[in-house]
Amino acid sequence: MSEFWTDFLIVIARCVFSVAFVMNIVPLLIWGERKGAAYIQDRPGPNRAPIDLPNPLDVPRLLGAVMAGQPLVYKPIVSLRAAGLIHTLTDVVKLAFKEDVTPDHVEKFYWFIAPVIAMTISLCTFAVVPFGDQLLGVHLQVSDLDGGLLFVLALTSLGVYGIMLAGWSSNNKFSLLGGLRSSAQMVSYELSMGLAAVVVFLMAGSVSLSKIVEMQQQPLDLGFIAIPAMNWTALSPFGFLAFLLFWVSAFAETNRTPFDLPEGEAELVGGYHTEYSSFRFALFFMAEYANMIVASAVTATLFFGGYAVPFLDGATIRANADVILAVLGFGAVPAFTTFAVIAFKRQTRPFYQVLAAEDPRRNEPKFWTGLWLGAAAAHGGLGVLGLMGGLAALSTWASLPELGGDLVAAVLHVSSLGAKVLIGCWIMIWVRWTVPRMRYDQLMNLGWKYMLPVALVNVFLAAGWIILRHELFA
Amino acid sequence: MALPKPNKTLTLTESSYIVEVLKGMALTMSHVIKNLLNQDFRTIEYPDVRKPMTARYRGAHRLLLRPDGGIKCVACMCCPTVCPANCITIVAGENPDDPAEKFPVSFDIDMLRCIYCGFCVEACPKDAIRMDTKIYEINAYNRQDMVHSKAYMVNLMDGLKPEAGTAYHVDKTLAPAGYTAEAPVRP
Amino acid sequence: MPKVKINDTEIEVPAGTNMIEAAKLAGVEIPHYCYHPHLSVAGNCRMCMCESVTPRGSVLEIACNMQAREGLAIRTDTDQVKAVRKSVMEFLLVNHPLDCPICDQSGECRLQDYYMDHGQYDSRGLEPKVSKHKRQDIGDHIVLDAERCVQCSRCERFGDEVTGTGDLRLMNRGDHTEIGMFPGTRLEHDYQGNLADICPVGALTSKDFRFERRVWYLRETAGLCTGCATGCNIQVCHQDGEVFRYLPRRNDDVNKSWICDPGRDLHKRVGSLERILRARVDGSPCTTAQAELATRIRAAGNRVGFVLGTQASLEANWALIQLARGNCPEARFFWVSGNDGDAIEKSDHLLMDIDKNANTAGVQLLAEWVGNVGDTDALREADLALLIVLEDDIVSRLNGGALPELAYFGSRENATSAQASLVIPVTHPAEMDATYVNRQGRVQRNRRATNPLGEAAPAYAALEKLGTALGKAPGTGLPVATFLSLARAVPRLAGLDYKVLGNTGRLLAPPVAEAK
Repeated sequence: MSEFWTDFLIVIARCVFSVAFVMNIVPLLIWGERKGAAYIQDRPGPNRAPIDLPNPLDVPRLLGAVMAGQPLVYKPIVSLRAAGLIHTLTDVVKLAFKEDVTPDHVEKFYWFIAPVIAMTISLCTFAVVPFGDQLLGVHLQVSDLDGGLLFVLALTSLGVYGIMLAGWSSNNKFSLLGGLRSSAQMVSYELSMGLAAVVVFLMAGSVSLSKIVEMQQQPLDLGFIAIPAMNWTALSPFGFLAFLLFWVSAFAETNRTPFDLPEGEAELVGGYHTEYSSFRFALFFMAEYANMIVASAVTATLFFGGYAVPFLDGATIRANADVILAVLGFGAVPAFTTFAVIAFKRQTRPFYQVLAAEDPRRNEPKFWTGLWLGAAAAHGGLGVLGLMGGLAALSTWASLPELGGDLVAAVLHVSSLGAKVLIGCWIMIWVRWTVPRMRYDQLMNLGWKYMLPVALVNVFLAAGWIILRHELFA
Repeated sequence: MALPKPNKTLTLTESSYIVEVLKGMALTMSHVIKNLLNQDFRTIEYPDVRKPMTARYRGAHRLLLRPDGGIKCVACMCCPTVCPANCITIVAGENPDDPAEKFPVSFDIDMLRCIYCGFCVEACPKDAIRMDTKIYEINAYNRQDMVHSKAYMVNLMDGLKPEAGTAYHVDKTLAPAGYTAEAPVRP
Repeated sequence: MPKVKINDTEIEVPAGTNMIEAAKLAGVEIPHYCYHPHLSVAGNCRMCMCESVTPRGSVLEIACNMQAREGLAIRTDTDQVKAVRKSVMEFLLVNHPLDCPICDQSGECRLQDYYMDHGQYDSRGLEPKVSKHKRQDIGDHIVLDAERCVQCSRCERFGDEVTGTGDLRLMNRGDHTEIGMFPGTRLEHDYQGNLADICPVGALTSKDFRFERRVWYLRETAGLCTGCATGCNIQVCHQDGEVFRYLPRRNDDVNKSWICDPGRDLHKRVGSLERILRARVDGSPCTTAQAELATRIRAAGNRVGFVLGTQASLEANWALIQLARGNCPEARFFWVSGNDGDAIEKSDHLLMDIDKNANTAGVQLLAEWVGNVGDTDALREADLALLIVLEDDIVSRLNGGALPELAYFGSRENATSAQASLVIPVTHPAEMDATYVNRQGRVQRNRRATNPLGEAAPAYAALEKLGTALGKAPGTGLPVATFLSLARAVPRLAGLDYKVLGNTGRLLAPPVAEAK
C-alpha cells in the first residue's frame, strides 16, 4: 500500500472515530438527562420500553416464521428494560418516522440547512481535541492544528448561525426571538470564554491543544513533592478561576440551563426550533448534546489534562502495560459481582411483587444477574490473561514491539477522556435540574458586568504570576 | 426599562451565585444518591400498581337495582335537571305492572360531557345512581361508546372485586320495591 | 267602586269582586287550592285563610268567600295567617304520597309550591298514610290517582257547572274521603283535559302528556288554537323545537279557562308526519319551486285564480291579495267555505264551533274589502288555467268536480296537496306570528313558539318570495309590517297593531252597513 493511501485511511479512521465518539455518547446523555432529572426529582424516570426476548428454544421456529414471511409472534420469557436505556432507541425510531412538516411560511433554503449547520459545527469542533498521544506513531487527533484553541473559538462562534438561521427562517415571532437571544448571548459569553482560555495559552505557551495536554502531563511540582502527570491547569489558582469562567461561558454557549433562554418554553414555545419536527428537530436535539460533549471535552483538554490518565503519563503506561491490564481485568471482578448482587436484589422491590407470575418482566433481574456474573467470570477466568497473551503474540507477529503498550495506552487515554467528558456532561445535567433559568437582564449583567472584568483581571494576574515565577525560579 | 427591585439586598457570597449554586447542587445530588441507593419512589407504577381510591372518590356512574331486581330509577328527571354539563338523557316510560309506574326506557350518560361533579347523585331522591364504583378508566375508541347506557351502568360492577375496607354495598335499608308511605331513608 | 284594603294597599275594585282576585290586583298573592275564577266558591281547602280586620278585632276568614265591599280590610301577612297556612299545608300533606319523582304534576304542583312558600315544617307523621286507588283509567284523556287528591272538589264542580256531566264525586268520610267515578262509568265529555289543568295537585293528570317531559323544561308561548272558529287562547308548551302540549290560556271573553280535547290534541299536528316539509313540483321535490310557480303564473296570463284561505292568517291572506293585485291585476279571487277533509266535525254549545276554520271571519272581512270574491259556484264555472290555493283543502271542500292546475301553499298533506302540481310548504301556526279573527269578530294574536320545520316558511313570507320571483313583492316578509299595512288599508282594522291586540285580542266593530 502506498504511503498516500495509508495516510488517507488513517485520516478517515481518525474522522470516523471522533464522530463516533461524540455520536455514541449522545443517546447515553439523553438517557442520563432523563434519569438524572428523575432521580433529582424523586421519580423513577424512564423504565418502561422493553425488548422482549423469546425463549431460546423457540428461536428456530421464529427464524422459520421470519423466512416464511409470517408475523413474528412469540411469548417472551424475559423483558429487558435496562433501566430505561431502551427508551432512547425508541425515541430515535419515533423521531425518524414522525411526519416531517415543512410549514408554508418558512424561508425554505435557510430553514433546511440550519439544523445541518448546528450539527456539523458541533461535530467539527471535536476535530482538534486530542484523544490520545500516539498509536504506532500516528497522532490520535483528527488534526493537530497549531491554532487549535482558536479553531475551537472560531467554530463555537459559527455555531450561532445554526440557531440564528433557524430562528429567522422559521418566520415566526417566537423562533425569531429565540434566535435573537441566542446570538446576543453567544456573542456576550464568547469574550469571557476567550479570555479564560488565554490563561491556558500563557501557562502552556502554545495554542495547540496537544501541546496543552502534554504540558499538563508533566508532574505537578508542589515544592516538597512532585505528583506525576497531574500538572492540570485547573489545579493552579489562576487556572481554576479561568476554568470557572470558561465553564460558565460554556453553559451559555451550549444554551444549557440556566442560560437556555433561546428555547425558554414558558415564553417562546420551543424557541428557535418551534417550527421543526421529526428528524430536523432531532438534529437540533442531538446538536445540543453534541455541543455539551464537545464543551466538556474542550474543558477537560484545557483544564483537566485531556486524555491524560491521572498519575500515569504515557511512558509509564507503556512500560507497565501488562500490570495495568491485569489490575483492570481482575479489578473488574468484584465490581461486576457487586452489580450482579444489586441486580439480584431488585427482585424484592414491591413492583415485582404485584406483577403476574407469567409476566416476562419478572425475569429481568435474573437476566442481569446472570449477565454480570458471566462478565465477572470471564474477567476472573482466562479472558484477561488470554487478551494479554494475544497482545504479546500480536506484537511479536507484527514485529512491532511497541504495539501492545501503545494499544493499552490508547485505550486508557480514550477512556480517560471519555470519563472526563461524561463527568462534565453530568455536571451540566446536574446544574440544569438544580438551577432555575435566569432572566435575560440577569444573564447580560452576569456576562458583561461580572465575568468579563474578572476574566480580564485574571489574565493580567496570571501573566504577572508566570513572569514572576519565571524570574524567581528559573 | 424599569427593572424590578430585588426583594432583599444580597450579600457578596449570595450575589456571586457560586456558593448558592453549589448549595443547590449539593441538595439535588443528595436526592440522586438517596434514590440510587433506595429506589424508593412515590411514583405509582400505574398499569401494574393502582392507587386505592378513597370512599368518596367519584368514578363512573352506576345504576342501582331494588332487591326485587327492578331498577330503582323512576325517571324523575332530577339528575338531568341539576346536571351542569347536560350529559344525562333519560327517556321515561310507563311500567304497566310495577307499582313504581314510571321507569327509564333509556338512561344515557355522555361521559365525554360529564364533569364528575356528583350533583346527579346528590339530586337523586331514590338513591338510584351512585358514583362509588371507583372506576376512573373511562375510555373508548369512539364517541358512541363513551355514552354509557342503562344496561351498561346497571351491570357495571359485575365481576369487579370490592376493595378491602372501601367496599361498595347495596343498601338494604332503603325503601323496598314499590310504593311505601315513608320517605326513603337516605344514607 | 268600593275601596278595599289589602295589607297596607288600598285599591278600588268592582263591587262583589272575589278578594283573591282583588288581592291579585293589589299585588298580593293569596295561596289557594279550591278557588277557581271560573267555578263556584267551595271554600273547603282553607288555604286562602286571611285576617279580616273588623271593628271587633281581627277575624280569620277565607278570602275566596269574601266579596269586595266598601271598607273591607284584610291582612295576609300576620303571624296568625302564616301559622294557619302552615297548619293547612300539614293537614293537606298528611296523607299525600311521596310520588313527586313519578308525578307529572311536579314542577307545577300547588302542593310543592306552597310547601316551599308557606309550609317548611318538619314531618310529624307517625302512622302509615291512608292508601287509596292509584292509576285509575277514568277517561280517554285522564288518569286518576286518588291518593294524591286534596279533596278541593274543583273537578266535581267542573263536571257540575261547566260540562254538566257531574261524573267525578267525592265519597266516604274523614281521611278516607276519596275522589272517584260512579262504578262502570267513564268520562265521556270533550273537556276532560281541563280536569288535569284545574287539578291543583297530581290527582288528575293528562294521559297524552303522561311522562312525556318534565314541565320545568317546557317553555310557554301565548298562542291560538286554530282548530275552529272559536279561536281559543292557548299556551303552547314546547322544548327544543318540539311542541308537547297545549294548555288553555285564560281569556274571559273567549274561552274562559277551558279548551276542548280535540283542540288540545292539535299539538300533535306541529311535528306530525303529515307535515309538508319540502317544496314539490309535479310530485318531486324541487328547490326552485317558487321560480317555477312564477313561470306558470306568467304563462297562465290572466287565467289565474287565487283562493283566500280560511285556515290561513290575516297576514297570509293579505299577502295573497297584495301579490295578486301587484302582479296579476286581472286575476280573480275565490273563497271556498266548508271544512277540510281531516277536520273533526264536532260541535257544541260551549266552545266547539261547527266551522272548523280559524279565520272565516277574517276572510269575510277581507273579501268585503276586496269586493267581488267568487264563491264555490263561481269557482266551478270560472275558466282558469291555474289556481293558487292558500292552506284550505279545497279539493275536499268542493267534493269532486273538475279543477284547473293547482298550486298549494299548505302545511300538511291532504287531498289538495295530493292533487296540486306545485306544493309550497308553509308553517303551522305554532311556528309563526300571525293574527286571526274568530267567530265573535275578535282579532287575536298568535305568537311564534318554535322554529319552522324543513323548508316551511310562514305563508306571508313564502308569498313575499313568490312576489319577488314574479317581479313585484307584496312587502309582507315580516309579520309586524304586514299587519300594519293591513290595518292601514282596511278601515275595519284601523288603529290596530300587535301591541294593541295584546294577549286577549280586540273585538272589531260590526261592519258599517250592519251597524246602520
